[in-house]
Amino acid sequence: MVLIIVTLALKKSTGLQWILSGLTVGSIYALMAMGFSVIFSSTRVINFAQGEFSMLGGMLMYTFSNRAGIPALYSFILSVLIVTLIGAGFERLVIHPLKKPSVITIILITIGLSIFFRAAAKWIWGTDTLAIAPFSGDKPFKLLGATLVPQSLWIFGFTLLTVVLMFIFFNRTILGKGMRAAAENPEAATLVGVSPPATSLVAWTIAAALGASAGIIIAPIKFVSFDVGVMLGLKGFASAILGGLGYAPGAVVGGLSLGVLETIVAGVFPSGYKDAVAFLVLVIVLLLRPQGILGRQEKLE
Amino acid sequence: MSGNGNNELLKVEHVTKLFGGLAAVNDVSFTVNSGEIKGLIGPNGAGKTTLFDLITGIQRPTSGKVYFKGIDVVGMRPDEITSLGMVRTFQTIKIFEGMSVIENVMVGRHSRTRTGLFSSGFLLPRSRKEELETFEHSMRILEMLGLETRAFDAGTNLPYGQQRLLELARALACEPEMLLLDEPAAGLNPYETQELTQLLERIKSDGVTLLVVEHNMGLVMNISDEVIVLDYGEIIARGAPEEVQNDPKVIEAYLGSGIGNAKG
Amino acid sequence: MKQSVEKSKVKAKRCENKYKNFAIASVLILIVPLWARFIPGNLIHMDIVNVMALAGIYSCAVIGLNLLIGYAGQISLGHAAFFGIGAYSVAILSTRYPGFPAWLGIIIGAIISCAISWIVGKPVLKLKGHYLAMATLGLGEIGFIFFREATGITKGTVGIIAIPPLSIFGIVIDSDFKIFYVVWITVLLLMLFSMNLIKSRFGRALRALHSSEIAAEAAGVNTSKYKTVVFVMSAVFTAVGGGLFAVFQRYVNPESFHFSVSILFITMVVVGGLGNLWGAVIGSIIITFLPSIISALPYWFPFMPESLTNFGNYTLVLYGILLIVFMIFMPKGIAYALEISYSSALRGMKRIRDRISAMRYTKRK
Repeated sequence: MVLIIVTLALKKSTGLQWILSGLTVGSIYALMAMGFSVIFSSTRVINFAQGEFSMLGGMLMYTFSNRAGIPALYSFILSVLIVTLIGAGFERLVIHPLKKPSVITIILITIGLSIFFRAAAKWIWGTDTLAIAPFSGDKPFKLLGATLVPQSLWIFGFTLLTVVLMFIFFNRTILGKGMRAAAENPEAATLVGVSPPATSLVAWTIAAALGASAGIIIAPIKFVSFDVGVMLGLKGFASAILGGLGYAPGAVVGGLSLGVLETIVAGVFPSGYKDAVAFLVLVIVLLLRPQGILGRQEKLE
Repeated sequence: MSGNGNNELLKVEHVTKLFGGLAAVNDVSFTVNSGEIKGLIGPNGAGKTTLFDLITGIQRPTSGKVYFKGIDVVGMRPDEITSLGMVRTFQTIKIFEGMSVIENVMVGRHSRTRTGLFSSGFLLPRSRKEELETFEHSMRILEMLGLETRAFDAGTNLPYGQQRLLELARALACEPEMLLLDEPAAGLNPYETQELTQLLERIKSDGVTLLVVEHNMGLVMNISDEVIVLDYGEIIARGAPEEVQNDPKVIEAYLGSGIGNAKG
Repeated sequence: MKQSVEKSKVKAKRCENKYKNFAIASVLILIVPLWARFIPGNLIHMDIVNVMALAGIYSCAVIGLNLLIGYAGQISLGHAAFFGIGAYSVAILSTRYPGFPAWLGIIIGAIISCAISWIVGKPVLKLKGHYLAMATLGLGEIGFIFFREATGITKGTVGIIAIPPLSIFGIVIDSDFKIFYVVWITVLLLMLFSMNLIKSRFGRALRALHSSEIAAEAAGVNTSKYKTVVFVMSAVFTAVGGGLFAVFQRYVNPESFHFSVSILFITMVVVGGLGNLWGAVIGSIIITFLPSIISALPYWFPFMPESLTNFGNYTLVLYGILLIVFMIFMPKGIAYALEISYSSALRGMKRIRDRISAMRYTKRK
């Protein structure tokens, strides 16, 4: 920790560079974390296939824009739409028919789904790392002495927009408010016309859309391949835990902090250990704040 | 029986439990003497189950002391308290799923047996002997409660009334000095309640001290030597069953909360 | 009292039955290499003894994991790390110190796993459900990153090659045939130990806390201790499997201990049957044979178009589907289905016998 601070103080511009790059990846983690939180807060399910939604998003974007030559905006909409339908379809076909599934059941089913998506993607697109063109050129520019690519701005903008839309949805619309209520008290929510099954469907739909768009907007920077979903998913989850699972503003804070922390660690330590940061954070937070994060519902009988 | 001279088996001193500023249990003090049956009554939400949780170590009191056999049990784990000889049952039945009736009771023998990982894994003679003893002891308890014919059925397949008995059997298998029963008659029909009353009398005559939370006034008033009435987490009355029944505060607490069965 | 003595006898008889089944199953497994060598390899296009040995290695881990998940109800998504600890212990010790006995390496691996799982298990097992799953996943991945990055110790992604074979009492275990017996005798011993365990005080405590931790505590079970002990036990079983894996493959690299291997173990547990010890063995055998069967399909059905039989490397798609399908339609696994069909077959036989004797009886009249 001291080492990090000293390094930051010594190289101010490097520090800023790290923070800005960290915020770029962090925004993606935040979007992923929101996906986890939405499903968890309304259905108490952790969707292990969340990362695969991003992978599918990126892959479809590649197919539509690079292969089929469809303009970026339409490709984006089309890709997100398809992944969203897949997410909603899975909820209807598999999650919904299960009556009171155990935690292990739901974990294994969503893991099964993620394995299936990954293998299917390998089948369809192969194992190559695929590149997607940035939305508006790739000419880097300087910001306060740090270098940024335009795609970073797209990412910041999109994340901000999503956060605002999510806030409006959960605080201003009847459905959103009902879903928040359903998380607290399913029976009361039923009385005001929000049924738990409907909540679950909407949550999965939103999560799939969030995952897909995160996967698409990061693709021009990080590329996309059949196995990107695993890490994105795990880091998104670590962010969600860091910020407090089931708490939407927490997801954003958690994602951004994890992104920055990871970039700094990668700058200071051998970069192979970068991925360990997310897992260390995950384990430490889970261990130090078990009461704070453990679901209330699991504690009380 | 009690070991310490003054005959106090359980002593609860100024126990308070706050949930986010609200007192679920507020400054409750009472003692239970060896060999008596004490009833604990009060309207729904009065804090009876929370009080049980505080005494048996499932929750920790915000302040106050609980002594069992003169030992301070606050901060002890529930299983340690069970090993000391204070055993509870639950209001919502918790029969172990996937285990037979006899196995459910055998789990209750846990604190009175010692076989560990290796002696059971390697099936040492010592463990076999203890296993047989555990089995026979548990079987005797089932016979006492009239459940012996269902011994090898799945515990969760028993009818409701027998599941309540099974919980009691599991608690008895711990060889308790004191039993805390949380609504043992809930969901029982009048005939079963009658049988339960006799059973509790018999358990008492075997030297077990009882603290019973119950909504069925008939049962409580019948068996209790003394009754404590809890409302909004505080003790509002205590005394012999007849006194308590006629206490205006008690009647008001029950009628006020809409449950008019105080005379039951 | 008299009746209870009768019941004890019934129970004792059941125990005998259990051992009889164990003996039958052991014989069935142990004779595999004896008949497998008479099947020409170019007929089935797979090496049964070799694949069975691998299945046995996985069984060690899967039996341990089944005790943890199926009986105690605590999930772990990081057991591949313990598999790795077992394998790397053998690999590092026997390549760095020539002449170091591999069996001692397996024991040391088990001890290291025991220590690490004890330190980690105690705090982690306070978590429940999804949180436990995620924490163990994180720990497993930290283990994987360590295997990959600590190049000074593990040689990183290159891996450790030329691991000397295991030798026991002067016999060098250098063929699939020999290692098959080493592996499966180990598995059967672990199996016997576990079978005794689950029917004992220890096993009852595990099953009780699976159902309700609060009720188990009220009955006197120190749940946190039992959860830790079963976690440690499963880690040790898994490390033993890992050690055998190292002397079986004779090389190790981090890929064999990735998150996906943890999932592979869990798939085996689920397909075999959660909370069914024989299920662990059956699940391991089925899932280990799956890739071999899939790659042999084009040879088995040469008359079919290759597009229908050649799945190549897409076995993973099947794993995913298997996992979902099993969890939805057959959550108790194959072993349970086998048990049901076995006992209904027995009942059917009895009915037929009864009918025949009834017919004889009426005829005689």
